Amino acid sequence: MSTTTNTSRLGSLLMAPVHLLMRIIDVPLRSLQKATGISGMAAFFLAPNMLIFGIFVLLPLVINFVYSMTGGTAFFLAERNFVGAEQYSRLFTCGSYLDPMSCQEDAFWTAVGNTFWFVILQVTLMILVALVTALILNRDLAARSFWRAVFFFPVLLSPVVVGLIWKWILQRQGLLNFGLYQFGVEPYTWLTDRNWTFVATIGVSLWAHMGFYALILLAGLQAIPKDLYEAAEMDGTKPARVFWRITLPLLMPNLLVVVVLALIRAVQIFDEVYVLTGGGPGTSTFYLTQYIYETGFASALRNPGLAAAASILMGLVLVVLTLIQLGIGQRGEKKGKR
Amino acid sequence: MGEIKLTDIKKSFGSVHVLKDIDLHIKDGEFIVFVGPSGCGKSTLLRTIAGLEKVTGGEIEIDGKRVNEVTAADRGLAMVFQSYALYPHMSVRQNLAFGLENSNMPKAEVAERITEAARMLEIEPYLERRPGQLSGGQRQRVAIGRAIVRRPTAFLLDEPLSNLDAELRVSTRAELAALHARIGSTMIYVTHDQVEAMTLAHRIVVMRAGKIEQVGTPLELYNTPANRFVAGFIGAPHMNFLSAEVVEQEAGKTTLLIGGSHRLLVPISGQKLSVGDKLTVGIRPQHITLANDPGSLTVKVRLVEALGSETVIHADLNGEKLLAVVPGQRQISPGDEAHFSVAGAPLHLFDGNGLRVKDK
Repeated sequence: MSTTTNTSRLGSLLMAPVHLLMRIIDVPLRSLQKATGISGMAAFFLAPNMLIFGIFVLLPLVINFVYSMTGGTAFFLAERNFVGAEQYSRLFTCGSYLDPMSCQEDAFWTAVGNTFWFVILQVTLMILVALVTALILNRDLAARSFWRAVFFFPVLLSPVVVGLIWKWILQRQGLLNFGLYQFGVEPYTWLTDRNWTFVATIGVSLWAHMGFYALILLAGLQAIPKDLYEAAEMDGTKPARVFWRITLPLLMPNLLVVVVLALIRAVQIFDEVYVLTGGGPGTSTFYLTQYIYETGFASALRNPGLAAAASILMGLVLVVLTLIQLGIGQRGEKKGKR
Repeated sequence: MGEIKLTDIKKSFGSVHVLKDIDLHIKDGEFIVFVGPSGCGKSTLLRTIAGLEKVTGGEIEIDGKRVNEVTAADRGLAMVFQSYALYPHMSVRQNLAFGLENSNMPKAEVAERITEAARMLEIEPYLERRPGQLSGGQRQRVAIGRAIVRRPTAFLLDEPLSNLDAELRVSTRAELAALHARIGSTMIYVTHDQVEAMTLAHRIVVMRAGKIEQVGTPLELYNTPANRFVAGFIGAPHMNFLSAEVVEQEAGKTTLLIGGSHRLLVPISGQKLSVGDKLTVGIRPQHITLANDPGSLTVKVRLVEALGSETVIHADLNGEKLLAVVPGQRQISPGDEAHFSVAGAPLHLFDGNGLRVKDK
């Protein structure tokens, strides 16, 4: 009894400043509502967010588009000359689109090709690994919460930290070679082998993001009523048939979300790879975002206009992927309502 | 055949004993209802019979064969779940076919069974719809249909009507009874609704805290409840319980004192009763009549519920609550003094442990 009283007393003490603040802002807000009406209030409350969105998303988008229509190395827009669609045509000038070396901007097409294969492989593996992980975590495991945390933990790490951790593991004098050496295996230069670095970037990004997608799928799995599985058990349904005919169809909405999110994220791959391999060796892990970054900011002959054009193109790809997600989501909703 | 025998069934979840020494013999073709308050173990008992839960101890026999280690699918039973457990992404037809396809049944036979069940349950127009497009009542039929197509030795129904509205529940209840009469298979039905139990069952199993309190036909339970719990559980409104004391004992007759001053002569000569024993008298509200006789129980009226065809009177007898359901409409209001007569009413006597005091 006394605990309750104490708690409520503490609560009211803590809430006192809040109440005071509410009373202070109540007066001007009421008069504002009187002047503008309810719809005006909605605009008022939305304004801060729209302002931030406008300054940090919409405006850069427009500026970026303007940049893509200009040439030269200068950063200030005022010092740049208008070139129209020249940057876009430069990106698309190719002898054959299947051979990056025949293109004027061979680095762009190399990056596009690398990103394409990265996306295909990484997303496929991501879906499979996340699904298997979610299915395992959905079982009655001992210490289930612990395992969930273990798989989710990398998601919380900064991409740079992820890159550094794996660099320490994979470099010539890293943990992996040390471990292998204990078993008599000769150290290997994992990060200077073209094939291994490509595999490593896929593996590292899997490790870093898989927990997030597994969590979405796990939530989907847990939303499937247990009764359905019991009904299937009463019917003598084999586990494989349960998976294909019950689990997978019911998980499909979550699975589609995961596919699209993973796709978008894979197209944007940059930070952890940049820290881990720097895009090398050669151009083996040189992906699209790195091309944009280096073209615009890092190379000796920087070309912000070209980088802007490339990023607009990448943005278009992402818009298409997002629209697909929206379309699928709406179709799913309609289906659910039916 | 659909004979099910439970011997000494025990079930524990960790240190919690959910079922304790359950013995029950369900005859072929019988409609048996497990009834009891929430958490009494009735659903768990059904699930152990189904094979969805493993028993901790005891034997389950179906048609004379021990099935403790037999999987749910191989016990030949079908279950109707409280939530219906229909596959939401499949059409009604696919839902009905799903279980049959598992056993590689020829397509023609699957189609035939679906047609037969759909006709029986009048769900033919909905066969191509998904569960989400059906009403609660229609879904419920599909769930029953899914059990019927399997032609099981027994049906297990776990509170199948609890998700329906009151009106639909009454009509579906009648349909279930008709369905049982038509199919003739054993049905085990779980509910916490004693009206469902009374109307549907051949025999009712009343459970409490993992134990069977009494097994009997609905009228056996109503007329001769084995203990105070069963007496209070079966019958609506609940039976009245008044504390009583034995004040006189003669051959064949016992006089009790209830309500502080009222003497009640009961035709019982319970051998174990002696003057001074404390008892509980159970009287069903429907067995109380209003009287003008000052010699009857004088009560104070607390609340009057006029239902039109009958009047429910909540009253107070010397600190004890007493409920009477009297036919017709009565001019009586809260605060009034009234006289309740229990002359000729069947009285139920329970000893200090709540057990029925039997006559001899």
